[in-house]
Amino acid sequence: MHELSIALEVCRMAEERVGHAACGSVTAVGVEVGDDAGIEPDNLEFCLEALLAQPPFGGARPVIVRQHGDVLRLAYLEVEDGDPDD
Amino acid sequence: MAIRTIEVRESVMAKNNEFAAEVRRRLKGASVTALNLVSSPGSGKTLLLERTLDAVGEELAIAVVAGDVQTQNDAERIAKRTHRLVQAVVTGGACHLDARQVLTALEAIDLAETRLVFIENVGNLVCPASWDLGEDAKVVLFSVTEGEDKPLKYPKMFRQAGVVVMTKIDLLPHVPFRVELAVEYARQVNPALRFFHTSALTGEGLDQWNAYLRSLVREPATA
Repeated sequence: MHELSIALEVCRMAEERVGHAACGSVTAVGVEVGDDAGIEPDNLEFCLEALLAQPPFGGARPVIVRQHGDVLRLAYLEVEDGDPDD
Repeated sequence: MAIRTIEVRESVMAKNNEFAAEVRRRLKGASVTALNLVSSPGSGKTLLLERTLDAVGEELAIAVVAGDVQTQNDAERIAKRTHRLVQAVVTGGACHLDARQVLTALEAIDLAETRLVFIENVGNLVCPASWDLGEDAKVVLFSVTEGEDKPLKYPKMFRQAGVVVMTKIDLLPHVPFRVELAVEYARQVNPALRFFHTSALTGEGLDQWNAYLRSLVREPATA
């Protein structure tokens, strides 16, 4: 029910972590969701997809990692580092 | 382009919990107790608050933060029962109050002249369970017009609560609600729950509720 609030907070945390200017380089956002976290994972994924498609993000992919318990955390960010592959 | 992974592993609720800790610090510093009233919509939070303010509002120096999705109707009702501040928080569609909203509301309340704060949360048994508001306890209202199995359907809320106030018990002769079964279900989820059986309409059980509130308020830190 409050998945949009959670998705907004995830985006705020991601922006805080990488900086506003680098949000466009985020390619994936991993979120761990416990089965007792009071969150519907598919709904959260839907909300994140919508928000991450908007600036300052550039279409990063949400990755929901289901866990036991009440864990609800931003697990990781995948970011293009700007360096060409070797 | 190379992809690198940044490990974060930070709780999504971390920011809210920081605000909740600040709420708790301020309340403790002023020796003020705070109760977070939660329930389904229509369980009688506002009416219980009205009756409580009538009976012990002055004695216990009660202030109220009233949350609602839209309108200030509840806050306006409550404000008629007290000259103390009633802070309205309209969430604008959000299904819960968060600790930042409560902290902002507390800014306007003279905590030195307050001993008990009620936070009337948005009517919803799901989302408010996930947000720590800095309260001392969550109080779940559970009306006899609801199903006895509500605690089993919404276990997180009942697990986090310290108190259950059963409301509308004047309707028991008219509804097929088995109080013993509802209590049994609630205790399955949380054996430590304390119960009050009330009717805000007839006043039944409110003396016990008010006595409980008296037992909660702390003496001022300077006393």
